[in-house]
Amino acid sequence: MPVKKTLSLAAVLAVLVLAGGAWYVTRLPASPFDGETAAAPAPDLIARGEYVARQADCVACHSLEGGAPFAGGLEMGTPLGVIHATNITPDPDHGIGGYTLADFDRALRDGVTPDGRRLYPAMPYPSYEKMTDDDIRALYAFFMAGVEPVAEPVPENGIPWPLNIRWPLAAWNAVFTSGAVYQPDPERDALWNRGAYLVEGAGHCGSCHTPRGIAMNEKGLDSSDPDFLSGALLDGWYAPSLRGDGAAGIGRWSEEDLFAFLSEGRNAHAVVFGSMTEAFNNSLQFLTEPDLRAMAHYLKSLPGEGEAWVPAPAEVTTPAQAARAGLPGAQSYLANCAACHGRDGSGQAPWIPPLAGVTSAQVAEPASQINVTLNGSGRVVADGMPDAYRMPPYRGRMDDAEIAEILSFVRQSWGNRGGAVDPADVADLRSRTDPASIDPIVLQMR
Amino acid sequence: MQLTVNGTPREIDAPGDTPLLWVLRDDLGLTGTKYGCGLAQCGACSVLVDGQVMRSCVTPVEMLEGAEITTIEAIESDPVGARVVEKWVEHQVPQCGYCQSGQVVAATALLKEIPEPTEEDIRATMVNLCRCGTYNYIRAAMTDLAGREGETL
Amino acid sequence: MTGHPAALCAAELASGRPLNLSRRGFLRGALGAGAGTLILGVGLPAGPARAQAAAAAPGTNVPAFLEIRPDGTVRLLSPFVEGGQGIFTGMAQIVGEELDADPAVFTVENAPAGADYLVIGGQMRITGGSMSVRLSYPVMRRLGALARAMLIEAAAAELGVPARELSTEPGRVVHAASGRDLGYGALAGAAFDLAVPDPDSVTLKDPSAFRWIGREQPRLDVHDKSTGRAEYAIDIRVEGMLQAAVSHAPRLGLTVGTIRNREEVAALPGVAAVEVLDGAVAVLAERWWTAKRAVEALEVDWVPFDTLPEGWREMPADFSSADFAAALAASEADETEAEAEGDAPGVLAGAETVISATYHSQYLNHAQLEPPSAVARFNGDGTLDLWLPNQAPEQYQSTVAGLTGLDPAQVRIHSPMLGGFFGRHFLYPAASPYPQAIELARRAGRPVKMIWTREQEFLRDPLRPMAAVRFRGALDGDGLPLAIEAVSATEGPTEAINGRGDQVDPTALEGLTGKAYAIPTRRMAQAYVRNPAMLAYWRSVGNSMNDFFYECFLDEMAAAGGQDPFELRRHLLRDDARLSALLEAVADLSGGWKRGPYDAPDGTRRARGIGMASPFGSEAAAIAEVSIAAGRVVVHDVWEVLDPGQAVNPALVRQQVRGAAALGLSQVLMEESVWQDGAPVARNYDMYRILPPGDMPPVHVGILESGAQIGGVGEPPLPAVPPAVANAVAALTGQPVRRMPLSRMSFES
Ligand code: FES
Ligand code: FES
Repeated sequence: MPVKKTLSLAAVLAVLVLAGGAWYVTRLPASPFDGETAAAPAPDLIARGEYVARQADCVACHSLEGGAPFAGGLEMGTPLGVIHATNITPDPDHGIGGYTLADFDRALRDGVTPDGRRLYPAMPYPSYEKMTDDDIRALYAFFMAGVEPVAEPVPENGIPWPLNIRWPLAAWNAVFTSGAVYQPDPERDALWNRGAYLVEGAGHCGSCHTPRGIAMNEKGLDSSDPDFLSGALLDGWYAPSLRGDGAAGIGRWSEEDLFAFLSEGRNAHAVVFGSMTEAFNNSLQFLTEPDLRAMAHYLKSLPGEGEAWVPAPAEVTTPAQAARAGLPGAQSYLANCAACHGRDGSGQAPWIPPLAGVTSAQVAEPASQINVTLNGSGRVVADGMPDAYRMPPYRGRMDDAEIAEILSFVRQSWGNRGGAVDPADVADLRSRTDPASIDPIVLQMR
Repeated sequence: MQLTVNGTPREIDAPGDTPLLWVLRDDLGLTGTKYGCGLAQCGACSVLVDGQVMRSCVTPVEMLEGAEITTIEAIESDPVGARVVEKWVEHQVPQCGYCQSGQVVAATALLKEIPEPTEEDIRATMVNLCRCGTYNYIRAAMTDLAGREGETL
Repeated sequence: MTGHPAALCAAELASGRPLNLSRRGFLRGALGAGAGTLILGVGLPAGPARAQAAAAAPGTNVPAFLEIRPDGTVRLLSPFVEGGQGIFTGMAQIVGEELDADPAVFTVENAPAGADYLVIGGQMRITGGSMSVRLSYPVMRRLGALARAMLIEAAAAELGVPARELSTEPGRVVHAASGRDLGYGALAGAAFDLAVPDPDSVTLKDPSAFRWIGREQPRLDVHDKSTGRAEYAIDIRVEGMLQAAVSHAPRLGLTVGTIRNREEVAALPGVAAVEVLDGAVAVLAERWWTAKRAVEALEVDWVPFDTLPEGWREMPADFSSADFAAALAASEADETEAEAEGDAPGVLAGAETVISATYHSQYLNHAQLEPPSAVARFNGDGTLDLWLPNQAPEQYQSTVAGLTGLDPAQVRIHSPMLGGFFGRHFLYPAASPYPQAIELARRAGRPVKMIWTREQEFLRDPLRPMAAVRFRGALDGDGLPLAIEAVSATEGPTEAINGRGDQVDPTALEGLTGKAYAIPTRRMAQAYVRNPAMLAYWRSVGNSMNDFFYECFLDEMAAAGGQDPFELRRHLLRDDARLSALLEAVADLSGGWKRGPYDAPDGTRRARGIGMASPFGSEAAAIAEVSIAAGRVVVHDVWEVLDPGQAVNPALVRQQVRGAAALGLSQVLMEESVWQDGAPVARNYDMYRILPPGDMPPVHVGILESGAQIGGVGEPPLPAVPPAVANAVAALTGQPVRRMPLSRMSFES
C-alpha cells in the first residue's frame, strides 16, 4: 500500500519565493567526513549500523513488500505528483554504491545528493541532521557492507516541470532546518537525553506527530517547542499528540504504559494502528529495552494541556435498548463493534483496544477513526507473531452515513469528547484510501 | 486459569489470548459452538457470558475469569433457551444448521433481556448471518416467542 | 504431492477409453428426458468396488441402506448428503412410504462411498444439481418396497402363513385373517439375512395411497441442529490427531521458495512441525489455534512453480476482475451456437426496431458458513479414513486412490453433515484441504485435521464464472419481439473443470438457451474466453446469471415495444399451458400484477418486476417489490411460485424457495468477488458481503404441482429472483439494470 505523503502546493510556492543565489543552492555543503576514505568496516560497526537503521526506520520507505531490502520504489503521492523512495543498496549504478562517507552524510543530514541535487523533505533530513557522526559512520558501514546490492532502477518521479526543479529546496533547508547535531541538555539526565536524541533525531517521530506549517515544515523540531509532537494529520491518519495532554495526548499513560506500547505495540490504552503499524512492525520494537525506556522517559516529560478524560457510564448497552431509544449509531455500534470493543467501549486490553477514553475519540480530527473503520488495520507483528485479533475493514458493509453515525456515537459516549462525524468526511476518505492488508507484512532488513 | 462453562468449573491451560471459541472446541470438546469467520462478522460462535451474547471468536479467554459461560450444549437447561429450541423445532428453522447454534444463543439472550421483544428489537438484535437464508423462519419463530400472532411459513 | 484430475467421466472409466461424449448426452441416454442440465464429472470406484456393483444393482442391496432396530426405529444410510436441503427427511419419506414406516422413526446418516449407493440411473451419485430426489425417486421407492417384501417374507416364515396373506401397517406386518401382527423391529434380523428379491418383483404404491410422500413432514434434523448436536466435518475428532493450519501462496501458480524463519516458528511452544506443501506452508500442532497463529508467522518468499500441478491455473499478478469484465465485453472470440431458430442475423438486419445491450455478471464465492476442513487417518492395515465435506463420495474415493496409490477399496470416505454447500464441495483442483490433510498425515505418522480459515478459503474458493452478454433484439411494428440474439463471452464451469469439448458447455449458457418464450427467431451463442481464475458450480449454475441476463433484456424489449413486461410474457407463453398457469399463479399470489411506480402507504415510492426461469426440470416465477432508500435498493417483498411437477414435502420445498431466494437476493443486491493484482480483495465476510437478516424481505411462496415429471427443488427457485429485483428497479428508475450487484450503482433516493 503506497504511503501518501502530502506536500501542499503552498509549500512549493513558498519554496520558490525563498529562492536564493545559484551558488548557494547548488553548492555541496561541507561534511565532517570530507576527504575521509573509508576502510573496510569491522563487523561490529556494521551491526551497530544496522541498529541505527532500525532507529531511523529506513526500511519502511526504502523497501517494498516482497521486494529486495532497501531497493526502494515506495510510491508517495503528493499534490505535485508522485515521488519514489530511492534504491539505497550499495549498487553503484542504481543505488548508493558510489557514495563516499561524506556523500552519504550530505544526503542524510543535509538532503543533498553527490551531484548537488536537493532531496525532497519526504526524506526526514531535518531530523536526521541531529544524528551523531558516529551513528552516521556506522549507518554508512551497514549500507555499504551489510546490505546486498540490487541493480534495480527507481521509477521516474512524476512531478512535472517546473515543480520538479529542486534547487529552491536549498533555501527551504536554510530556513527550516537547524543544521546541528543533537546537543545534550545538561539540565537533564542521561536517560532523558538519550530519549531526546532518539525521538528528535533518528526516530524522526515529528515527521508524523508534529503539525506542519505553510511550507510543510514541521512546526517544532525539539522539546523546547510546544508544537513539537502535538499531533498532526498525515496520509489520512491523525498522528496523535505524544505530549502530556490530558485527553488528546498521553497524559493518562504511565511511563511503563509507554514502554509497553513501544516494545509490544499494545498496552491498556491502545494498540498501534494505521501508519504506526509499519513503524512498529519493522523498526520500533527492535530497539533495545534501555533505548525504548529512554524514549518513554523523554516523551513522558513533554508537558501537555487540556483536562483528562473522565469516564462516564454507558447509557445503552444492548441493541434493543438502542433501538428503543432511537439511537441508530448506538444500535449499529452494539450490533457491529461491541463484540470486540465492549458494550461500554471498554475493549479487551491489551488485545483489543478500548474506545472509551481513547485519544482518537477525543481529538476533533476524526480521520484516524474513520480510516480504521473503513479500512481496518494492518496486522501488528510483535516479536515475530502476527496479532491474534485484527480490526476488519467495514467499507464493504457500511455506507458513509452508517459509519458516521457509529463514530458519532463512539465519540460522544462514555465521556469521549471528539464530537460528531460528518458523512462527507467518510466519503472523502473512502475515495482515497484502500483496505489494509489481511496478511502480515514484514519488511526485511537484509 | 479457571472457567465456568455450563455450570461446571473447568481448568484451562491455554494461552490467555486464545479465543474462547477454540478453548471450547479444542480443549473442552464443545463443538456445538461454530467457527464461521473468526472476525466477529457472522455470529456462528455466539455464546452466553453472564446471560449476555458474546462472539467467542473475538473473546480472549483470559477476559472471562470468573464469568458464567453457557454454550449451545446447555441451552436447553436454561428455561428461556429451552423455549427457543422448542420454537426453532416447531417453526422448522434450521437448514444446514451451521449458523443455528449462534442464532439460538442470540435469540435466548434477547428474550432474557426483553421477554416480549418488538419487531424492531428483533431486527436490531438478531444480526447473525445465515447463508442458507433461514431468516424468514427465524423471524417467524421470534415473533411467536414474543407472544405475537405470526405467520407459520 | 501432486495435483489430481479435476474429475473423471463415468463413461470414460466404464469403457476404459476416453469417450468424447457430452455428459448431457450421457445422462439423457442413461436416464431419459428430464435428467437435467447440471453436468458433472463423475468418478466411479474401480476394482473390487465394481465387482460388488455387479453383485447387486445399485440401490437394491437393502442391508447396505437400512437397519431396523429392535425398537422399530429405522436407520437409513442416505446416498445423498444432507447439507441443509432436507434430503434426509425427503429420503425417509420416500423410503418410508414404500417400506410402510413412519419417517418420524428414521434416523438418517450419510452413506459411505460404495457402488451400492450409485442410485442415479444405477451409474452415479452426486449431491447437487437438484438431482437427488428427481433422479433417484423410483430407485429409492423400490428400495423401500424391497425391504418391505423382505420383512413380509420373514413374517411369513415366523407366522407360518403364505406371504400373500400378509399386509403391513406402519412399522408392522399384519396377518389380518388371524389378527396377529409382528413389529418390524422383531423381524428385521431375520428379514435382512434373506436374499434381496428380484427388483422387478415388487410393485410400487399407487400415489393415491401415499401417506407421507406429498405431505408436510417435520425435518428429522432440526432438534440436533438447534442444540449444537449436529456434527460437521469441522467437528470431527479422532484419537491422537494433530491439527493443521495453512497459508496459501498469494496467487495460484506460486509455491514456496524460502521460508526465512522456519526454525524459529518450528520451535514455538505447541508447534509439532512446519511443512511445505504445493503452493502452501502448513503448521501442525496439538491445538488448531496454535497452528493458525504459527503459520501466519511464517515469512515465505513465494516463487513460480517449475511445473504447475495438474488442473491448476496460473493466476497472473496483474489480473483484475474489472479489466476482465471489459475484456469479455470486447471479446472477438469465435462464436459457437448453442441454440438457433430461424435466421437471426437476417431478421435483425431487416427489422424496424432493433435494440442492443451488454450485460455483465460477477464472480461469486460460495461462502457456505462452514469453512472447509478434512481429517485424514492412515490405519495400521494400510487403509485410509477421510472425513471431509463432499457432494460426491465416489469421486473423492477414486481421486484419493489415485493420489495415494491405494486401492479405492482401501479409502473410506466419511461424509458428515455439510454446513452449507451450494456447489462448493465437488472435486475442484487446489480448492480443498483434503490433499493437504492426507499428505500431512502421511508425513506426521499421525491423523491430521486441517481447517482452512475463512481467509484461506476465500483465497482458494473456485468462483461462479463471469460473463458479458451482448444482446440484440428485433421488434415488429406492434412492438412484439421478432428475434433475440445473445452472445455470451464466458467460460462454463464444466469446461473449466473437465476441459473443453467440441460442443458448447451447457452449463455456460443454460438460462439463455431453453427459454420457453415464443420468439420466432433465436440465436444463442458462446464466445469462449478462458478465465485465469478457477471456476466452479454455484447454486443453480449457469441459470444463476443467465436468467438475469435474458429476463432483464426481455424487459428492455418490452419497454422498447411499449409493452407491459407481464403482458408480454403472457403473450409469449400463450401456447404453453404449464407456464401460463405459473405466470397467473405468481400474479395472484402477489395480489394481482402491478408494475408501478406507485406510492406505498408508508410514503415510499415502489415498483415491481417479474422474472421467470426453467432450471433443473422445474419452473419458477418471481415478482419482487422494491423502493430506494438512502441510495440503496430495498426489497420489500418477494412472491415466488415453483412448479416442481410434484412436491415430496411441501414444507421442505417452501424452505428451499426461501433459501434460494435469499441467495438470489444476495447475488443481485451485494455479492461480488472483486479481484485486483491477481488476488481477491475480499477474504472474509467483512469485505465479501452476504445477505444479512436486515435485508431479507418476506418471501411468499406458492407451490404448483402440475403433475409434470418431478423436477429439482434446491436450485430452481434462485434464478428468477435476481431479474425480478432488477426489473423492479428498472421500473422504478426508468433505467435498465445490466449488471449485478446493484450495490455497484448509486441511486437517487
Ligand atoms: S466465527 Fe465468530 S463471529 Fe463468525
Ligand atoms: S442454516 Fe445454514 S447457514 Fe444458517
